[in-house]
Amino acid sequence: MSDNRLTQTEQSLNPPSEKRVKVKINGIQVEVPSGENIIEAAKRVGVEVPYFCYHPRLSKGDAANCRMCLVEVATTGPDGTVRKMPKPQAACTMPAAEGMVIETETPAIIKDRKGVLEFLLINHPLDCPVCDRGGECPLQNNTLFYGPPTSRYIEEKRHFPKAYPLSEYVVFDRERCIHCARCTRFTEDISGDTQLGFLKRGADMEVGTFAQTKFTSKFSGNVIELCPVGALLSRTYRFKARPWDLLTQRSVCSQCSNGCNTKLDYRVNQLQRVNARLNEEVNEEWTCDRGKFGHEYISSPERLQTPMHKRDGAWVPVDWTEAYRILVGRLKTAGSSVAGIGGAKATNEDNFAFQKLFREVLGSGNLDHRMGRYQGPTNQPLFDRLGYHAMGNAIADLEKMQTVLVLGADLQDEQPILFLRIRKAWRFKSATVLYANDHRTADTTNLSDFAAFNLIYKPGSEIALLNGVLNVLFTENLLPENQALDLTALKKNVAEWTPAKAEQETGIPAAEITAAGRLLQHSPMAIVVGRTVTEHPFYTDIIAALSSLATVTGNIGNVNVPGTEVNSQGAADMGILPDSGPGYVHVTAPGMNTDAILEAAAQRTLQTLWIVGADVVNEYHNPELAHRALENCPFTVVSDLFMTETAQLADLVLPIASVAEKDGTYTNCERRVQRIYRAFDLSADIKPDWLIFTEVSAQMGGTASYFSSRDILRDIAAKVPTYAGITPKSLGEVGIRWHYPTSEPVTEQADPMPPTESADKPVSV
Amino acid sequence: MSTPTTLTDRPREPFASPPKERRFSAQALAELEEIATHYPERKAACLPALWIAQREYSGYLTPSAIEEVANYLGLSFAEVEGVATFYTMYNLRPRGRHHLEVCTCLTCAVLGAYDIVHRLEHELGVGIGQTTADGEFTLSEAECLNFCGAATVVQVGDRYFTHITSENVMSLIDELRRSENYTPAKLADAIVKIHIPGSSENGGGSSDAEALRGAPGPML
Amino acid sequence: MGIVNLLFKNRLVPNIEEIEVYEAHGGYSGLRRAAGMERQAVIDEIKAAGLRGRGGAGFPTWIKWNGLPKNYDVPHYVICNADEGEPGTYKDRELMKKMAHTLVEGVILAGYATSSKKGYIYIRGEYVEVAWQVRKAIDQAYKRGYLGKNILGVEGFDYDVYIHLGAGSYECGEESALMSSLMGERGNPRLKFPHAPLPTVQGIWKSPTLVNNVESYCAATAIMTIGAEEYAKLGTEKSKGTKIMSVSGHVARPANYEIELGTPLLELLEAAGGVTGGKLKAVIPGGSSVQIVPADRVDKINLDYESCGANGTLLGSGGFMVFNDRTDIVLLMKRTSEFYAHESCGKCTPCREGTRWLFKILDRITSGNGQAGDVELLLDVCSQIDGRSYCGLGDAACWPIVGAIKAFRPEFDYWIRNKRSPLGADALPPTPERVNPLLTLTAA
Repeated sequence: MSDNRLTQTEQSLNPPSEKRVKVKINGIQVEVPSGENIIEAAKRVGVEVPYFCYHPRLSKGDAANCRMCLVEVATTGPDGTVRKMPKPQAACTMPAAEGMVIETETPAIIKDRKGVLEFLLINHPLDCPVCDRGGECPLQNNTLFYGPPTSRYIEEKRHFPKAYPLSEYVVFDRERCIHCARCTRFTEDISGDTQLGFLKRGADMEVGTFAQTKFTSKFSGNVIELCPVGALLSRTYRFKARPWDLLTQRSVCSQCSNGCNTKLDYRVNQLQRVNARLNEEVNEEWTCDRGKFGHEYISSPERLQTPMHKRDGAWVPVDWTEAYRILVGRLKTAGSSVAGIGGAKATNEDNFAFQKLFREVLGSGNLDHRMGRYQGPTNQPLFDRLGYHAMGNAIADLEKMQTVLVLGADLQDEQPILFLRIRKAWRFKSATVLYANDHRTADTTNLSDFAAFNLIYKPGSEIALLNGVLNVLFTENLLPENQALDLTALKKNVAEWTPAKAEQETGIPAAEITAAGRLLQHSPMAIVVGRTVTEHPFYTDIIAALSSLATVTGNIGNVNVPGTEVNSQGAADMGILPDSGPGYVHVTAPGMNTDAILEAAAQRTLQTLWIVGADVVNEYHNPELAHRALENCPFTVVSDLFMTETAQLADLVLPIASVAEKDGTYTNCERRVQRIYRAFDLSADIKPDWLIFTEVSAQMGGTASYFSSRDILRDIAAKVPTYAGITPKSLGEVGIRWHYPTSEPVTEQADPMPPTESADKPVSV
Repeated sequence: MSTPTTLTDRPREPFASPPKERRFSAQALAELEEIATHYPERKAACLPALWIAQREYSGYLTPSAIEEVANYLGLSFAEVEGVATFYTMYNLRPRGRHHLEVCTCLTCAVLGAYDIVHRLEHELGVGIGQTTADGEFTLSEAECLNFCGAATVVQVGDRYFTHITSENVMSLIDELRRSENYTPAKLADAIVKIHIPGSSENGGGSSDAEALRGAPGPML
Repeated sequence: MGIVNLLFKNRLVPNIEEIEVYEAHGGYSGLRRAAGMERQAVIDEIKAAGLRGRGGAGFPTWIKWNGLPKNYDVPHYVICNADEGEPGTYKDRELMKKMAHTLVEGVILAGYATSSKKGYIYIRGEYVEVAWQVRKAIDQAYKRGYLGKNILGVEGFDYDVYIHLGAGSYECGEESALMSSLMGERGNPRLKFPHAPLPTVQGIWKSPTLVNNVESYCAATAIMTIGAEEYAKLGTEKSKGTKIMSVSGHVARPANYEIELGTPLLELLEAAGGVTGGKLKAVIPGGSSVQIVPADRVDKINLDYESCGANGTLLGSGGFMVFNDRTDIVLLMKRTSEFYAHESCGKCTPCREGTRWLFKILDRITSGNGQAGDVELLLDVCSQIDGRSYCGLGDAACWPIVGAIKAFRPEFDYWIRNKRSPLGADALPPTPERVNPLLTLTAA
């Protein structure tokens, strides 16, 4: 589809410019970047220009339609004469130019604003008392400050059926719509599905989906926040609360590893809604629907509220004293024959206490947070070759790329925020995107839609494809000069992988492989890897091949293998790994990995298994083994929010706090440490994980005890070098991205390519 | 889940299912591909493609027609529906075999266009926007058809009939009843053909000017 | 002054729409002459002729032609705006129907002068019969080598002309909305200078684009055929050449008349056979978007850009509508406002809401529910639209109403006070016996 869309690059409303120009706004002289729109320029001198349709992140083309931001503009000619433009101009699209004189509060402009608001309100139902947006509505606010006190419109308003459902999440009140095109532009500029559009014309114009089909965008919730009136509403929040009755706490989304900043709006102990919180480095101001609508579990009545003990096959609620008595008794008899699984959904503090309990008190190194197929050493090929474990780039760096190769990822589902960044790079900055996977994405709105090439290869032939593009790069001499690299072995290895041979193996036409290979020469080039690769039997080999590709093209720091769970990065950082402790310090006597732990449990050679916030039966790559392990393990304790399938098979279940009920930090996929804050307590009998570990540790005779997650963070900062200096205060609003120490240079080992026959092997799944 | 049959339907239940019908013939696709070569972007062929769709879907655009156009041009469905509902000449509901569009804009209005409308409403027994029970005529008012010198103008399919009055309009109706020409599909076909270079040599053209009424006006 | 047939010189020649006949009457000689000149010399010729855009705004044509950048990294495009939609205007219709070759020649000329590779003629969808003539003219021009590769033996003069038909939207006659429509979008206007680059710098597909009206291209053909010097002899000092006026309404001989710019209004009225059905009440000289001129001022107006402007109206597109004394101005304005409410694209607030409101107010007045203060309300609503809308359609919707109130205020007051027309029940235009869909309150 991509070749059809030549207009992909849209003009941004805020083109960055080095050049500064002098403008005068309401008599105040100010220097602003050339071409900056007047709304932003006016903000610099504290002048507010009201608007509805303007949004700095949306493209310029369809802005300036609400006409609320009209200002008077005069230009200064080369001879110094000031000439006023005859008509008022829309400030949101008016580019600042040298010598421009802008007036925003003249009698004419005050009248124009009244006029625009009168027009907007003639067909607006003014049903503010029952509108969710009431109290936080730009239309209300602008009317209060700039509107006419009354209306002269005596004809009847237009009427539509109320609350037309667009999807399970979004309802649409057509009467309230002011046609600002924010939502339609969002689906075109940001999420890329273009599912909302204007239908009909004139005063009959309305927003709609195609032929009343469902609004299936994975980012649909954002239009609710973008809507400047109460036209697009959340179905889960509708009629639930007045905005002024809500309390708000800052948080981080717990649904994936991207770490979107959120605001939890709650009333008493009930979470009412989740809104996005601005973080330019991570999610800008977006959330995906999983993040926005996926937090209902926090206030679910199904939540565990007290520890449960299984007696004669039946669950019995017990108090914590009893729970600890049972647990500590078991741990004492088990000795070091204990193992811990999980932590990818817990905070860094939880995980630090988790591993401390196991390593220091119980004397066991059997710890692993990984559920996937790759269970190999932590210093996986990526770190050995490129010097990092997961993502080389920061999320925000992705938009600076010229080329992005996405390998084996349904990115919209797996890493929604990375998807948005990559789309932004394509839409607003002309980046080229290559999509390679063993299947097409199910929906057309995903990467396939705008990728320059969709390289759909036969399952298992990733390495053949990568060898093919490397061959193109070598034979066509497209690589940058780098004397330090000895590429003879690699060159020799890929020499036989002509595009024609790669076509045989992968099923991708040789011409496409050649063309794709040529595109990869454009630096900076980032590689993003997804689940097809991370769950691949030859994961290590593919990573090796990718490392070679990144190295020869001069993009050593641009390979990204993001984790999947909210804190998989943090769990690894905190040493929930069999072979490394906090800060990836190598452990001399490695413990068992998840595979081995479950195998041991299934063989009944493991006495006690503690599963922390993981539904192993559903998340582990081999459910059959998980079942067997849980059924055979003499004693299993599960800490979780719900009575999951895994918990059902346990002996003791401990209720733990959700993201809304505890303080702490998460580390997202780009290694950004971000704070979460306790909003409320669902029940007094729910404890955060770290407290459980600390209390058990105390009962087992451990020494250090923590009184708050802050204590633990202090300990982490002291003991984990890469977290040095991190304090709750230093994290601030945007968090801190930790860096690998730069002292030891990363040396590239120009390994010969992995055995090529791996591409020929049938893949056993 | 239901599939709406016309674009103007509002479903009784939410979340209509996507349509499935496919009607573009091989010839239609060939025409579409030819027209698409006229522009650097396929998107630009949206209007002509909708005309092709209007012809292939017997005179009006259904959700399937929109979807087919969107698929061939690589556009989103909502985008194409937005285009289709913007322009008045795309029919979103079935029309009669002859779509009478009486110009009632300024000049025609002061020269008796409303008399024609009222006469037609009376004689055909339909209101504006409605179709006769036999499916023969749909009556519409049109904004300026820009042939004010020949007022009143009535557009039927691909042709303007000029100097219509409330007296002579019924003879036009009688002749249209007997005519195979001037249908919505013929209009769409003519418009599609006009886009295609060389089509004037293959005997293309709109409906023949037959011996239907519409004596040349003073300026023609 | 008076009727001068320049563009229309050959309109009565039988079969002038055939290329052989057209050539025999001097057709394509202008293009041949241009092809022997430097490209810039062609633009200079247009400049010397003093041609101003005939679509309505009267902008000097050569500035646009000259405004396209002279580097050709991206292709340049020529667009002919043949989306004639202004009520009262039908000059382009006849030009295309009879003089299609003159238009095609002009579009090729523009392509040569601006080194463009492609030209598009955007014709409104209703003009099927007319578009066929243009199709035929283009096809014939290809056969004769006026289009295609190395035209007239000029190395590198490759030029293709395509027809693009609209589908029913007045708004698409607006330059930037036309570009949207040509690119396959809804016919919404696009950002204008200085909010965005001029179309001549970044028009369709971000490429330099020249947009002119049908009559402008035909005039360019005429200029290249007879020479700028000859052309500039016609018209007044600032408005040079001829203008085709589409005369309609209450006149004996409604037709297109080509006049020398500066011709007195009454002379044209006389040529068209004078008023029928009563005495002259008012004239709209330039299409429905311009201010109405009451009978007592018609003798002061000459038909050129300056004289019209000085008398509070505009030459516009040349849609010359004549109304006799049976015409009720309030009803006429109600019908006019209905047109604009129907044709507003809906993009910007003032036009979308305001045009519909104007229609509702006028409909209320003319259905006998007028209130004291309604005229002031109309004027105020107009002032909230005029100059505040995204494109010119909002302005165009207000000017006629403001103009009519200025000239015929007593009629509005009469309607509001007496709930009926000052001209009695058979005043023109009649009110249809039904509720207009634009006034209905609910939609499905």
